Amino acid sequence: MIAFIGGLGWTVRTYSEQLGDVVVLAVLTGLLAACLWYCFSRAEPRLVSDYVLYLGSLTWSIELAYLETRFHILAGQWDLYLLATACFFFLLAYRFDNRFVLSLALSTLAAWFGVKISRWPQSNDASFREYAILYSLVAGGAGVALARQGIRKHFLGTYLHVAANVLFGALLSGVFNPEDSGSCFLILLVVCGASLAYGLAFRQFAFVAYAAIYGYIGVSSMLVRGMNDSGALLSYFLVTGIAMIGLIVWIARRFGRES
Amino acid sequence: MRIYSVDDEEKLRILRLVKDWSGEGFLSEDQRLRMEADMACGLRRTNGFLRLVLFVFTLIAAGALVGLFFLAFQPSGSRDPWFLMLVAALGCYIAAEAAVQNGGLYRYGIEEGLALLAIAFLFFGLMLGVQEQHGSESVAPVAGAVVSLLIYCRFGFRFAFVASMLFAAGTPEFWTDSRAGQHVVIALLFAAGLIAVMQTRDAHRADYIDEEYSFVEGILWLGIYITVNLHLSSPDMLLAWWSVATKSSEFSGVFYWSTYALIWCLPAAMLWRGLTRKDRIVIWVGLLTAILTLVTNKPYLGWERHPWDPMLLGIVLTGGAIAIRRWLAQGTGGVRNRFTAKRLSSRDQRLKDTLSAIAGFTTVPSGQTHNTTTFGGGSSGGGGASSDF
Repeated sequence: MIAFIGGLGWTVRTYSEQLGDVVVLAVLTGLLAACLWYCFSRAEPRLVSDYVLYLGSLTWSIELAYLETRFHILAGQWDLYLLATACFFFLLAYRFDNRFVLSLALSTLAAWFGVKISRWPQSNDASFREYAILYSLVAGGAGVALARQGIRKHFLGTYLHVAANVLFGALLSGVFNPEDSGSCFLILLVVCGASLAYGLAFRQFAFVAYAAIYGYIGVSSMLVRGMNDSGALLSYFLVTGIAMIGLIVWIARRFGRES
Repeated sequence: MRIYSVDDEEKLRILRLVKDWSGEGFLSEDQRLRMEADMACGLRRTNGFLRLVLFVFTLIAAGALVGLFFLAFQPSGSRDPWFLMLVAALGCYIAAEAAVQNGGLYRYGIEEGLALLAIAFLFFGLMLGVQEQHGSESVAPVAGAVVSLLIYCRFGFRFAFVASMLFAAGTPEFWTDSRAGQHVVIALLFAAGLIAVMQTRDAHRADYIDEEYSFVEGILWLGIYITVNLHLSSPDMLLAWWSVATKSSEFSGVFYWSTYALIWCLPAAMLWRGLTRKDRIVIWVGLLTAILTLVTNKPYLGWERHPWDPMLLGIVLTGGAIAIRRWLAQGTGGVRNRFTAKRLSSRDQRLKDTLSAIAGFTTVPSGQTHNTTTFGGGSSGGGGASSDF
C-alpha cells in the first residue's frame, strides 16, 4: 500500500501538467470512492478492509494537497484542511476500528497544531513547545475520555503512547533551554511520576521505560550542566547508571517478570 | 559451550509458545497457568521494555566505568590505550559471564549490554593496537568476527551473530584490492556458514535450537543476497540509484551479469527452502529479497526509472498477497498443504499493531506553507502535509 501510494504521489507530482487537472482529480476521486465503497459495503471489517481504508485515507490526503496547490480554495487558511482531514480520519478510524487510520488522524492533528503556530508572526520554540504540550493533553485526554465511555477501548494505548512521547519531547526541549528549564523540569518530574505510576498500575512497562529514559535525560541535563571535570562527569554517569539499573531491576522483580 | 542448560532453554521455548497460544485463545486461563507451573524455570527474565532500559543503563554505567579506568591509568602513560581497551573488553566479558552464572539472567539487558561492550572494546583495542603495523590490519575484524561468534554460541545473543557477519564482511578488503574478489570472498564465507547450518539443522527439527538455526539461516541467506546484489552492497552503485544506472567499470561484465542471475535465483531458493521446511524466518527473508530484486532490477539493467514504478510494485505485491490468501482460504478448513492464512500467534497481531502505529508517523508532517513552494512531495501521511506546497 505504501509503495503504491508513494508511486501515486510521485506520478501526480511529475505528470500533473501533462495529464491535466481533470484526469488527475478523476483518478484520485475514483480511487477514493472505490476504497470507501469497498469499506462501507462490507458489514464486518475484514483484514483487507483495513488496508483498503488506509489506501483511501492516503489517497484523500494526496487529492486534498493537489486541490489546494492547484486551486488555492482556502488560500491562506489551508491548515483548516488538516483539521478537517484529522476529523475525517478520526471518524473513519472509529467507524472501521482501524489503527492505521487512527495513527494518521493523530499525526494530522499534530500537523494542524504545528501549522497553526507557524502562521503566527512571532512563533518561536516556546510557542511550539506550549502547543506540543497542549496537543499531547488533548490527544491523551480524548483517548482516556473515549475509552471511559467504552468506545474502542483498545485505541487508548495508541493515544497514550503518542501523547506521552510528544509531551516528554516537548518538556525535554524546555529543560534543554536555559530560559524555561526550571518550570519544564518540575513538570517533567511530575509527568515522569505519573507515567511510572500508570505503567506499574496497569503493567504497561513502556511507560515505565519512558519515565526512566526521559526522566534520566532531563535530570542529567540539569545536573551536569556546567560540569567540566571529566572525572566528575564519568563518576556521575557511573553512580546514576548503577542506581538506575538497581531501580529497574527492583521494578522488574517486583512487577515485570514476563509481563 | 552454551551457558544456559538445554532444559532451561526448552522450557523457555515452551513458555513462549504457551503465551502465544493463550493470547490467541487456543488455551484457557486454567490450562495456561497449569502449563506455566509445569515449566517453572530458574532463570530471571523481564519485560521487553525494561530489558531495553536495563541495556541502555548498562551501556552508560559500564562505559563510564571504563572511562574512569582510562582516566586513572592513561595520564601516567604507563599503558597504551589499546591495552586498556583489551583489559576493558575482558572485564566486560567476565562481568557478563558472572551476571548469568551468578544472577541467572536471561535476556535481561544487563548481560547483553556487557557482551556488546566486550565486542566493541576488543575491536577498537585491536584496531588501535595494529594501526601502525602494516599487514596486520585484518586482525581486528577477524578477531571481532570470531569473538562475536563465540559470544553468540555461548549466550545466544542474536546481535552478536549479526556483528560477527558484519566483521566478516569487513575483512576481505584487507586481503584483496579487487572489489569483485571482495564480494566473492564474503559470499563464500557466508555460504560456508549456511551450508554448515543447513547440515546441522536436520538433527534439531523439534527442539528449541531449531529456532536459533532458523534465525542464523535466515540472516546468512540475507547476507549472501546483499553481498551478491551489487546495487545494494556496492557504495558507488547505491549512491547512483536514482540516476540511470550503468554497469560499473570496477566489475567485469561476466561478474556483473552473474550476480544479476543470482539475485533472481537466490530468492527462489530461499522461498523453496523456507516453504519446504515451513520456516517462517527463511520465508520472510525470501519475500524480502524477492522485493529487493524487483526494486533493483531496473538499476541492474540500466533502464530508466519511472514515477509509477512503485505503484506497479504495490499492485503486484498487494495482488499477490490477496491471491495467495484466497487460494489458501479455499482449501479444506482454510488449509492447503499444512499452510493457512489464519493468524496462529498473538505475536502477529502485536506486529500489526506496532506497524499501524509506525505507519501513521513515518511521514510526520512538516507544517510548511504553500505560499513559498510548488506542489510536490505528497508523502501523504498526516493528511499529505509532509509534502511541499
